[in-house]
Amino acid sequence: MNQQHFIDNNTFHFSEFKDLTHLVDAKEERGLTISLCLPTLNEEKTIAKEILIMKSELMTRYPLLDEIVVIDSGSSDNTREIASSYGADVYKADEILPHLPPFKGKGENLWKAQFITKGDIIVYIDADIKNIHHRFAYGLIGPLLLTDTIKYSKAFYDRPIATGKGTMRATGGGRVTELVIRPLFSLFFPDLTLIIQPLSGEYAAYRDILEKIPFPIGYGIETSMILDIYEKWGMEVFGQVDLDRRVHRNQDTKALGKMSFMIQKTFLKRIEKLGLIDIKTEVFDEIIQFAIENDKYQLQSSQIEGYERPPMIQIPEYCDKFNIKPEQDSSE
Amino acid sequence: MEKYLKNLPNTVEKIKALNDIIITNIVLIGQVPAPTFKENRRTNFFLDRLSEAGADECTTDGYRNPISIIRGTDPTKPPIFVAAHMDTPFDADVDHNYTVQKGEIKGAGVLDNSVGLGVLLSMPDILRALELKFESDIVLVGSIQSIGKGNLRGIRHLLKTWKTPIRGAVVVEGGELGRLNCTTDGMIRCEITCHISRTNAFEHTFKPNAILILHEVINQILEIRLPQRPRSRVIIGKISGGFKYGTIAYQSSLGLEIQSDSDKMVKSIYNNIKDIVEGIHHEHHVEMEFKTISNVNASKLPYNHPLVKSSVKVMKALDLTPVSEPSESELSIFLSRKIPAVTLGVTKGNDYHLESSAMEIEPMYKGIAQIIGVMMAIDSGICDE
Repeated sequence: MNQQHFIDNNTFHFSEFKDLTHLVDAKEERGLTISLCLPTLNEEKTIAKEILIMKSELMTRYPLLDEIVVIDSGSSDNTREIASSYGADVYKADEILPHLPPFKGKGENLWKAQFITKGDIIVYIDADIKNIHHRFAYGLIGPLLLTDTIKYSKAFYDRPIATGKGTMRATGGGRVTELVIRPLFSLFFPDLTLIIQPLSGEYAAYRDILEKIPFPIGYGIETSMILDIYEKWGMEVFGQVDLDRRVHRNQDTKALGKMSFMIQKTFLKRIEKLGLIDIKTEVFDEIIQFAIENDKYQLQSSQIEGYERPPMIQIPEYCDKFNIKPEQDSSE
Repeated sequence: MEKYLKNLPNTVEKIKALNDIIITNIVLIGQVPAPTFKENRRTNFFLDRLSEAGADECTTDGYRNPISIIRGTDPTKPPIFVAAHMDTPFDADVDHNYTVQKGEIKGAGVLDNSVGLGVLLSMPDILRALELKFESDIVLVGSIQSIGKGNLRGIRHLLKTWKTPIRGAVVVEGGELGRLNCTTDGMIRCEITCHISRTNAFEHTFKPNAILILHEVINQILEIRLPQRPRSRVIIGKISGGFKYGTIAYQSSLGLEIQSDSDKMVKSIYNNIKDIVEGIHHEHHVEMEFKTISNVNASKLPYNHPLVKSSVKVMKALDLTPVSEPSESELSIFLSRKIPAVTLGVTKGNDYHLESSAMEIEPMYKGIAQIIGVMMAIDSGICDE
């Protein structure tokens, strides 16, 4: 794809969509409904603010969103109670499609959100954003409503990190993007390097795109989503929006290591499926890391299985609910 | 008046129904840093927000105080001002991201004065929801350069340059719900600094210590006899100085506030302290500086003024117990210009001036109903004689 064309036509700043009346008109003209999904796990500190701001600005003042849904992985804090008290529809992931074996992870929540929500467009926003603003939602919805080609929009931003000492660092974050995913995209899919922050946790898409792709249950979800959408529909359906700043909790290097492990595993699986490489050895599910305890090196291993949910359109209950013809698994 | 007093408790639930808008306004304006003298971003936000909420006019005065007007039904009636200060003592690099939890909002400056500003920003929505129309224009003012060294410059400028009469004013402060301020003490806030040259000046046989010099200043201030009437006091509020344990302090500074219900007495104590500082400067051969940071004149709205009496009735109708103490702030500038005004608190909370400040959400709805009640009282003509 012509790189400049993508930057000129598919890359936006949220302020291009701040005329909310215009967005609401476009939504009504197209006869669409929009759902906001917030996946949570112990987010009692940030969830209320996200719900309140989105509800006030994009439901009460401007009817852009039709519902706000929280899908919770089983928080042990007051996330569900708080979210419910501020007016969101709250679900425990395990209780959605309960006959399926349960998994824990963000991808699982996003996948199940398709079953629960009603919107033609689904907006996914992480629930740990400290500086949440309604631009996080309308910025992502804008390209979907105001262009004919974009079906999936992704956030990018400058990401200061809250240090926990009350002051802000000027910049930071995005380490896994720059050290893992960007080099991999550069090696195999140079087009995808045009996506400035492929791992950003905020994106919006038309339901008829989301329901046709598989969802890894954990950290691999953003990577797989991009690769699968690219493979099926090409670069034209992607949009990306500068949402300015995003303040979030910092993650330690070990947590990022686990994230990177999962992302690379997802990536390798995808490119092998596409026939780009042939992995002639077993790929393991365990990451080994070290810690020093009592002046001794301690080996820490974590089991990270790469389970994936099939495209939602293959789930009979989903097809019944949305009155669509089930699609068979073409990979079998 | 009796009719709307009777209805006032019913408005609390209607205001509460707007909780998402009100809390969003508090959070969004509070998250825009506004250290004194750097309120520009918050000013723009204030105007954008009110314009979006449907206020009839949004602009700034010549000093860049943001002003928004909700037009009244009778152009012959002077306007009612509702004012809240915009600035905070927190630098821009302090984390201003708020946390909303069940029943409370936490974050730097939330009580002082994001909640006050949030109420102003929500006013067009609240008045629409309550189906309230006022005869007077309602002028919503975010006053800049208010606290500390700002010395209430914003509101001073606005009222000095406002050409037409003002019917009455409500000053909105975050806390504490129940406050009803109608008097202000005369006050001068000053800073005394001592500086000792690092070079070996010949006149010092023994090098003086800047901390001990201020210690001497404090001792002499404590010897000033203060009268019981007019009520007067000197508050030693801040002190800093020195460099490290084993080195004589070359620099020190002291912040103090003189308060009295008589301006004359404030001036007299001020002159006494100035003499003390000058005396010590000569006696110890050290550089001393005595600087005035801010000042306000004593002013008073008598407790039997109709505005105060009506405010008490409004508060009692909402089961609030009025607590009246002297207050500084915008109130003093309104009163010194003979504009009837009171200061009201919106809610309860703790850590008022700290980064960890927290406000309670539930009492806020009553706090807002109380402000609306007092605005209605002014609009009914109680201050018009």
